[in-house]
Amino acid sequence: MPGGMSIPEQDRDDVLLRRAAKGDEESFTALYRRHQAALYRFALRMTGNAWAAEEIVQDVFMTLMREPKKYDSDRGPVGAFLYGIARNRVMKHLERLPRELPLEETNDDGTRASEIAVNSFTPANWAEQQERSARVHAAVLDLPAEFREAVVLCELEELSYEEAAQRSGCPIGTIRSRLHRGRALLMAKLEILRDAPRRVSAATRR
Amino acid sequence: MKCEEFEAIGLERSGVRMSEVEADLQDAAAAHAAQCPGCAALQESWQQARLALQALRETTRDAETPRRVEMQLVHEFGLRHRARKTRTAAIFAAWALATAAVLFAGVSWWNSRLTQTQGGPVSAGNGAKSNAPAPAVLPGDAFDEATLVADNFTLLPGSLPQEVDDSAIVRVGMQRGALSALGLPVDEERVSDWIQVDLLVGQDGLPKAVRLPEQAN
Repeated sequence: MPGGMSIPEQDRDDVLLRRAAKGDEESFTALYRRHQAALYRFALRMTGNAWAAEEIVQDVFMTLMREPKKYDSDRGPVGAFLYGIARNRVMKHLERLPRELPLEETNDDGTRASEIAVNSFTPANWAEQQERSARVHAAVLDLPAEFREAVVLCELEELSYEEAAQRSGCPIGTIRSRLHRGRALLMAKLEILRDAPRRVSAATRR
Repeated sequence: MKCEEFEAIGLERSGVRMSEVEADLQDAAAAHAAQCPGCAALQESWQQARLALQALRETTRDAETPRRVEMQLVHEFGLRHRARKTRTAAIFAAWALATAAVLFAGVSWWNSRLTQTQGGPVSAGNGAKSNAPAPAVLPGDAFDEATLVADNFTLLPGSLPQEVDDSAIVRVGMQRGALSALGLPVDEERVSDWIQVDLLVGQDGLPKAVRLPEQAN
């Protein structure tokens, strides 16, 4: 949602939410359509699992449907509220993950069958990009949750440090250091995946 | 610049947020990378990683929740709010029904009480006040003079015997003093006594004759 644009009163998120709470289906649908993609991408990039991302988005909006009064406008916009719910669900999912992993189907290259890739270019490009993104996604998914979140927010969602800090509910300095260590870990993992070990950064050592 | 500093700055420099690092630091990082093969390799490695991240970003840039999720949510929303409306309507109907039942019972009770207290004190003339219900109309056939006498009715002053044809007997409660308004003599000492009186009311709605019930039999 562009921050600088002025939105008509009747289309504001909080107004839509209020109307949805009274049973206005159109307002609920508008709210869903406005936020679903960003939430889904975040969940997908964090979990690497399309089914999980779908479930998380559904869960977020079910919560909104069941308990619209949980939203407090004094604590921020509706988008941030939804993101907060999504983040909690993602973290819960990641905590459960080790138990769920054996149930996942995997491809020959070790990536999960439910991982999605969207764009299609020429077959060669597509295959190359698929391979690269699958490799990097596997490396991102291997990162500890807090580093992964920093990498996803700053590198994939392209948020500023300030925005990422707001979303994660931590200071900017924390985001910076998490991102730094996340990048270092990511590089080390990618080096290993490429069978070309180089200097292991001091940042990867805890 | 030291290698540790380069790790923090050099990666930023090669990243998407070049503007966040001051220009002189960027230059210093570039100079360090030119001299330090390890840091140069690190930078190259990060650039590779960045490319990979970019590819991942591209593949998921247009990712959206499948349409079925919206359909499920909208369906659930409809069910939830329809159920709430139905529940509200049911509660409203139950309350309305209960209120109607109470009203019906009240009216029935009032009617039965009314029936029981028929002939109770009612207001009659001279501003006499009473909470009693309306006077009861007793069944009666057409009257003539002979019947009047037989039934102990006293013709009121100014009334003619032929005017009592098709009249009705109405039993009312009134204070004895009100009889004077009908032109009858009243004992001064008993004017405030409540008595029951049968009035013979003509078709014009005016009393034509009167009797005291104790005189009837």
